[in-house]
Amino acid sequence: MEIQPSFATDYLASGPRLVAAAVATALCLLLAFAFLLLSVVSSKSKKPPSSSSPSAKQPASLKACDCPCTCGSSVLDSDSDSAPMAVGKTYANGGGVVEAAAAAERQSGASMMEQLVPEITTHALSYLDYPSLCRLSMTNSLMRKAANDDNAWKALYHKDFTLEQDSVTPVNGWKAYYAATRAIVNINSDFFNIIRERSLQSMSRLWLNADYVKCVHASGELFSGYNAVIQSWQLAFNWDQGVDFQVRDVRVRVLTDMAWVTMKTFVDMDTGPFNVTNVFEFHNGQWYMVHHHSSVMLIDGDVDQQNIHG
Amino acid sequence: MSSSSSSSSPSCPKKMITLKSSDGETFEIEEIAALQSKTLESMIDENCASTPVPLPNITGKILAKVVEYCTKHAEVGADAESLRAWDAEFVSVDHPTLFDYILAANFLEIPTLLNLACQSVADMVKGKTPDEIHKIFNIKSTFTPEEEEELRRENQWAFD
Repeated sequence: MEIQPSFATDYLASGPRLVAAAVATALCLLLAFAFLLLSVVSSKSKKPPSSSSPSAKQPASLKACDCPCTCGSSVLDSDSDSAPMAVGKTYANGGGVVEAAAAAERQSGASMMEQLVPEITTHALSYLDYPSLCRLSMTNSLMRKAANDDNAWKALYHKDFTLEQDSVTPVNGWKAYYAATRAIVNINSDFFNIIRERSLQSMSRLWLNADYVKCVHASGELFSGYNAVIQSWQLAFNWDQGVDFQVRDVRVRVLTDMAWVTMKTFVDMDTGPFNVTNVFEFHNGQWYMVHHHSSVMLIDGDVDQQNIHG
Repeated sequence: MSSSSSSSSPSCPKKMITLKSSDGETFEIEEIAALQSKTLESMIDENCASTPVPLPNITGKILAKVVEYCTKHAEVGADAESLRAWDAEFVSVDHPTLFDYILAANFLEIPTLLNLACQSVADMVKGKTPDEIHKIFNIKSTFTPEEEEELRRENQWAFD
């Protein structure tokens, strides 16, 4: 039978549901499922409710069958009473064929991804950067599983950060560990930007207001407690005439609410390079600096350059 | 090294091996070109490649392209620039074909083709929003709006 025009507009009105419905139809045809149910669907269709249990197993299918114009096809009717998600006979034969074709095409996208065996998927994913991997995980549940793969994130971690920590098993998985590391790297960069800008206000916001925070500047002086630390930075900003420097070899280790970072800073021929260590603590949803230590780096044969021996 | 291009010197005939696709088509490929496939290489080493090699996972259409790829990459004297351009042309195909390249390259263990195809797919995905990815690969979101919101929060760190 032909589809009535009114059904057509109904279809068009509920595009996404139609697609999902079409996919469901294709699945039905292919798998000839007889287990799933009608319930919600049956209340809207003209077909009498099937004998299967009312509880829906697949929320997606419930949504799909929300539309009055049906997801099922007449083929299903002949298969079984309780064809999954099939709403009713109202779907005509002609429509069924068209929908099946469209469904097959749409399904091919998903099945393409499915076809890629795990090793290939991981391999293919290894070419992506972290924002793309995250966006991919937001597309559908199959992609989410693939894109959240622990090994993929571990590989990305080693690519973007460091080959160290290979034997570590992060408690919340590598994706979370990557995210935390990225957060610390960002805040560490902020620290250096604050120094470049010589912004005392930003520096005072970055440090944790506690009596146990400490700062050891490259001069060798140690400052203890929030007030002393911030004052020391004020002095440093007033004194230095805005130096630029490069930060390299940043290595981060993150635990639940504490992280430390080691790095090297290179200023110019006369100054540095320095070994730097920063420690951060997590409070109230934010990372704060609690320790900074900068010391002159020993370079082979150039002992005179730095006043190591005072 | 001889200065001649891919054609062999008159004294040694090109050794060819025959590959048979899933739909029964046969393709001839120079042994030198076939060596790019680790699978074929090990078969050649073990002398199993004298009869047509059946490749039940690969259709004729894809196998033809794979043979073309291997032959091109086995050529000596090709400059890197033009090869790169040729590669870029090779992977400007529709997505199903690209995926088939990946599967074929994986099956035949051709690392260069696998990398090329995977990189191509990755480039398609990079920088795209989830909706755009839906369109490109014709995949349908299976998430409820609440789930999507949760996902967005979960992944927000990557977009700050």
